[in-house]
Amino acid sequence: MTLLPLIMAVEVEGEAELVKRLQRRDPQALAALYDRYGRLVYSLILRVVRDTGVAEDLVQETFLRVWNRVQGFDAERGAVGPWLLAVARNRAIDYLRSTVGKARNSLEMEATEHPALFSDMEKDILATDKARQIKAALEKLSAHQRQVIELAYFEGLSQTEMAERMGQPLGTVKTWVRAALKNLRNELGTAVAI
Amino acid sequence: MNCDELQGHYELYVLGLAEEEESREIRQHLDRGCEVCMRELGSARELAAMVGGTAVMAAPPPALRRRILASVGVEARRLGWWAPVWGVAGITALSVAVFVALFFRGREVDLAQQLVDSREQVRNQTIELTRLTEAFAIMNGPDTTEASFGKGPQQPPKGRVFVNPAQGVLLIASNLPPAPNGKTYEMWLLPKRGMPMPAGLFQSQTDGTALYVRRGTVNVNGTNAVAVTLENAAGAPQPTVQPLIVAALPSNS
Ligand SMILES: [Zn+2]
Repeated sequence: MTLLPLIMAVEVEGEAELVKRLQRRDPQALAALYDRYGRLVYSLILRVVRDTGVAEDLVQETFLRVWNRVQGFDAERGAVGPWLLAVARNRAIDYLRSTVGKARNSLEMEATEHPALFSDMEKDILATDKARQIKAALEKLSAHQRQVIELAYFEGLSQTEMAERMGQPLGTVKTWVRAALKNLRNELGTAVAI
Repeated sequence: MNCDELQGHYELYVLGLAEEEESREIRQHLDRGCEVCMRELGSARELAAMVGGTAVMAAPPPALRRRILASVGVEARRLGWWAPVWGVAGITALSVAVFVALFFRGREVDLAQQLVDSREQVRNQTIELTRLTEAFAIMNGPDTTEASFGKGPQQPPKGRVFVNPAQGVLLIASNLPPAPNGKTYEMWLLPKRGMPMPAGLFQSQTDGTALYVRRGTVNVNGTNAVAVTLENAAGAPQPTVQPLIVAALPSNS
C-alpha cells in the first residue's frame, strides 16, 4: 500500500468569492467548485470505497451536502478544500462501515465536518508544494507508522480494529499512531503553522 | 482537562481515534469557544486534509459532473415545473415534501403521504435527497414513459414506474413489506425479445413503501414491462420466482 501523491494544482485565489456565490445559490458556482475539487474528492472517495459506482454516488452526496450547508461557512476565513475532503471522507467511511454493520457515531462525524470548523486554516493546504511535503513526510515514516495512518484515515479503523487487522497488541498500535502523528507534525511544522 | 493535557489528542480526535473522554473534553472546549483548542484542531484538520490529498489520482466520469449540476437545477429548463422552486429554495427537506405532494396532486395522496412520512425515518438525509433528486429528474423527463401496477381487489403492492431512455427507471411502491432476512427485491426489465434483464436490488421500508432508482440508459421501445421478484439476498441472474409486480409499459408500436 504505497501512497502515490496526488499532485494538486488547486487554485485558491478567488475562493471567498466562489463561496459567496454558492451562498447566493448560484448553481454555476457549484460547477466551478466541482471543476476545482471534483477530481480530488472523487480520488479520495474511490481510495476508500474502491468501487467506482459507489464513489460516484458519494461524490454527488458530498457536493450536495456542501451546497446545502454552505450558509454556515465563513467565506472570508474558511478553507473550502479541507472542508470538502472532510465531508467526502465521512461519507466514504460511513459507507464502508455500514457495509460491515458498524455504523459510526453520527455525533462524532458531525463534529468533524461542521462548516464553521474550517475557518482560519491555511487556504492553500492542497497546493502542489504542500502535496510534495506531505509525501516526503509520509515516506520518512516507518512502514508500520504509515500503515496505521492509512488505516485510520482511509479505512476509518479505530486503534482496537487496527490491532486486530494487523495482528498486533493494542499498545503497540497506539505507540505507532502517536509516533507517526508526532513525526508528521514535526516534518510539516512549517507547512501547517498558521 | 486543560488545553495542555489535550496536546497530542487533537489529531487523534480529527482522525476519529481519540478516546471518549478526550473527545468529550475537546468538544467541551470547542463549545465554550476555547481559542487554543480551535487553533490546534485547525492544524490537525490541515494535516488530515493533506493526508487525504495523497490518494491516488483518479478521474471521475464526465457524466458525474452533469448529474451533480442537474441536481441543483443547472439544467432547470429541461427539468420542468419544479425547477424554479428547486433553484430558489435549494434542496431542502421541505421542498422534497412539497414536490412529492405536488407530483401526486391528489391522485395517490396516501402514497405520497407515506413517502413523506418515510422520509422522516431515513437517517441519512443527504442519501435520501440524492435519490429523490434523481427520482424527480426521471419523473419529469419529457421523454419519460409511465405505467402503474397493482390495481385490483386484493392488496398487492401498488405504485408506478417511470422509464426514461437516458436516465433510467424509477419505481415507487406501497404495500410492499420489507423483504425478509436473507432476501431482497430485484427489479427486471422485460424486453420484447429475449430474457429478463436484471435491473438492480432494493429493499422497501418498514412502512411498506419503496422508492428505487436504477440509473442508466434504457431501450424503452424494446421493453414490454418492468417487474419485481423476491430473490435471495445476492440477487439472481434470472428470476427464480413469479413476479410480485409487473408494470406493463404502454405499447409503443
Ligand atoms: Zn482548550
